[in-house]
Order: sequence, then structure tokens, then C-alpha cells
Amino acid sequence: MRLSLLGEVLKNITRRASTIKYPVARELTVAPGSRGRHYADLTKCTGCSLCAIDCPANAIAMEKLPQPLKHNPRGVFPVVDYGKCVFCYQCVFVCPVKAYVTTEVFEMADYSTDVSRDSSLSTLQSGESP
Amino acid sequence: MALVEIPIGPQHPALHEPVMLKVRADGEDVIGVEVNTGYNHRGVEKLLEKNSWVRGMYIAGRVCGICNAVHTQTYVQGVENLMGVEPPPRANYIRTIVMELERIHSHMLISAVMAEVIGFTTLFMLIMRDREKAMYLKELVTGNRVHADIHVFGGVKRDLDEVRRSRVLDELRRVEERLKYYRRVFETDYTIVRRLSEVGRIKKSDALKLSVVGPTLRGSGVRSDVRFEDPYAAYPEIPFSVIYRDEGDSWARMMVRLDEALESVNMIRYALERLPQGPAVPKAIPRTARPGEVFSRVEAPRGELFYHIVSAGGTNPYRVKIRTPSFLNVLNTESTYLGHRLADVPVILASYDPCISCMERVLVVDERSGRRVYMSLKELAQVGFG
Repeated sequence: MRLSLLGEVLKNITRRASTIKYPVARELTVAPGSRGRHYADLTKCTGCSLCAIDCPANAIAMEKLPQPLKHNPRGVFPVVDYGKCVFCYQCVFVCPVKAYVTTEVFEMADYSTDVSRDSSLSTLQSGESP
Repeated sequence: MALVEIPIGPQHPALHEPVMLKVRADGEDVIGVEVNTGYNHRGVEKLLEKNSWVRGMYIAGRVCGICNAVHTQTYVQGVENLMGVEPPPRANYIRTIVMELERIHSHMLISAVMAEVIGFTTLFMLIMRDREKAMYLKELVTGNRVHADIHVFGGVKRDLDEVRRSRVLDELRRVEERLKYYRRVFETDYTIVRRLSEVGRIKKSDALKLSVVGPTLRGSGVRSDVRFEDPYAAYPEIPFSVIYRDEGDSWARMMVRLDEALESVNMIRYALERLPQGPAVPKAIPRTARPGEVFSRVEAPRGELFYHIVSAGGTNPYRVKIRTPSFLNVLNTESTYLGHRLADVPVILASYDPCISCMERVLVVDERSGRRVYMSLKELAQVGFG
């Protein structure tokens, strides 16, 4: 039996194009629960540094908290460098207090260095500091 | 043979990575082929030594983009042995589902690449479009369409909830339908069959002598599969048949892959329908291993993947040796090109699934005139139809 691909090709002529005209048309979606941009919720974070120790890409640096915002005895919080991050989510998994907030945001191409500092600090301003 | 000594380290010639093929030709007949590798040494083995067991999980996964879950599985199951932890049955099932999804999209990728090499660009586009469905399923289960990163010592990082389980089952039907169609195309299309049949034939005895692995070995009539011979993860509980064919040519290797992908669909369906209850995500992970050494092997989409892990105790491995399947399939098969036409070289190469784009160029030496020409694989494929 000889099978021609012609039938399949003709069928596709009337179909909607598979190509996504990104970023002009933002039809690009990810599966629910996809590993995207993540940051530490400082109302939960204890500054234990376990995420920074385990990070295979050395993308997490423990930074000192600004003085008035000191919320844990160690006074440090994790800052994720998204340029280095490989999105393995080991930090999310290993966190003993489940402090990481995960999102499905994947559009992180930027001219400047993108880090999680502001996102993390905003959790303290909106939430209650212990 | 000095050639085998050139590549040092875990070399996986994945897409767009450099490997060079020196083809000696008499007119259009191939009379000698020399495979040069070693352009892509990244020092992954050393990196594994320098980092902790935990970080090693992610480094092992990044040896290869396509078969990252099997690399992690090989590393993790070896280290788990040293650490004395056992993953729960549910975690084993989830790991197996991810690895089989990976097998499906890997086999679809090489089918697409093969279609492109033999000039079926439309078929390439169609397969790549449908491969995205399999990648979406992987994203649904693991959280990323390429890097699974789901393994962790003593389980998996993410459980599979009911909603996603039923969605995967549902979407799997569409993947299966398309796979069946592509299998039919590869089996019955006159041009494809003529282009692949009798090309790059490896006899059963030669296949064993050359130590080829995976679909290349099974395409030569050898019924060998690590999943069957040395079952790991949930494979002892999942029924499946080892696909093999006796023809031994490029067409047989492609058919083995497509049949295997269809078998994987059945295996995933079986695993999803009988997913054991209980925990899958460990509460804490061990960080130190006992001194000792372990051999770990897994059936990657391209064949047997092998890790030798040595531990001196403590938090870091002492030595990790990786042997990828493409290493054997590409380096040991130089003799199979001989006697074929130049245009068959890319076909034979693609049939070993070395991720063809890693061959950035091919140097053609005309034995009579001594003329040396660098050609791209596409140009080479269009030289003539032998």
C-alpha cells in the first residue's frame, strides 16, 4: 500500500496556523503548575540559607535585610538571580517553612539583571512582620 | 584504536553540538569514515565531584537536554543505593511515567529529523508540531516541558493529582493517534521505505560485536532492553514487550523507535490507571552516602545509559563516570557507512539517533583528485539518491 502525505497536507491547509506569532500575539500558554518565577515570602522565611546551599546554579544569594524590616533572627533573606536560575525548584522543595511563592511567569527576558529582591521585600510591606 | 581515546568525559552529542564526520569518497561511494568527537567536553564528571549529592541530581540531568529524566534516574537510583533509601511505589510510578513521556518525544524528534534528512520537510513540521503535545504532557506532570527535575532522593518532588492524571490520560489519546499515523507513513510510504531500506545494515552478529545499544541493537534483531533485563523504577510491575526487528537497516531502526513510542503510550496508560496510593514526596532528603561504589544502568531513549558512582562517604561523590548510549552508537559504527553512497551517510547517521544537528559539517575528500570540500549535512543529502 502506498500512502501519500498529500491528504494530511490538504487537511492542514484549512486548519489554523500552528505558528504562534509571539510576542505580537500573546497566545503562548504554559501548563498549569509550570515552574516559573519564584520568590521568598519573607513573612515565613527564617533565613536558614538551605536554599542557597542546595542551589545547583549558585543563583541564590543571602542578603542582609534593610534595618527597619528585620524579621528573622539571622537578618538575611534569599535573593534569586533569574539570569542564573535553572528553575529546578530545589529551593522550593527544600524550604522547611515552605516560604517560596511560585508563579507560572516565564517571560523574564530583560536588559537589566532580574532578581527577586523587590518581590520578596514587598511581601513584608504587605504582610505582617513577626 | 586511538579514536576512542579522543573524547574525554560525558559527551552527549545532542542537537547543535559539535561532532565531525570525515568521509573518504571514491566518486560517490564511501570508502572510509572517521568520526571525530570531543569538541563538547564540559567537565560534567568533575563538576559532579565538586558538588554535593543533592546538587548532582540537577547537574546529571543537564548532561543531555532530551533525556534528562533518565540521566537523573540513573544518578539518583545509584546514589539512593549508597544512601540506603528506597523510593515509595507511587514515586517509582511517577518517575516511570516521566521517563516514558521522554522516550515518546525523543523518538518523535529523531523521526522528524530523519524525515528532514531525506527531504520530507513537511513531515518534519508535522511531527514536530505533534511532538509538542507530548512535551506538554511532560510539562503537566513535571512543571517543565524539557527539564523534568522531578527526581529527588527517596521519591519525587511533585505528586500527580487527580486532575492532572486524568488530563494526561485524555491527551495521551491524541498523541497515540498521531504516532499511529506516523508509524503508518514510515511503514508504507514508498519513498521513505526505498530511502531507508538496506541502508546502513548491521547484522545481528556485528551489532553484538560493535557493542551498539538501544534501538540500534534491537533493530538488528537482538532482544535487549535494560527495562526488561534489569528492571528499575516501576518497570517490574508494568507489562510491556521489547520491540525488535530482524532487518538491521536504517528503516528497521526507525520502525523500532516508532513501535517503542506506541508501547510507551500503553505503559504510561497502564501506570496512570494503576497509580499506587500513598506518599510520593519525601519529607526530608538524605545528604550523606556510605563509602562504596555502585553501577547504575537505565534504558535511555537511545540505549543503555550507564553511571559508575564512587563514594568515599560524606556529602560529595568521589567519582562519577558516565557512559552515554550515543558514544557507542556513533563511534563504533564507522564501518556501516562503507559501500554506500554519499547521500546515504546522513541517513545512516540519523538512524543511530546521535542528534544529527550536532554534526556541524562534513568534510568530503575525493580520493582521486585529493579535493577536500566542507559540506553541510543538508547539502550532502541532496548530492544524489543512491
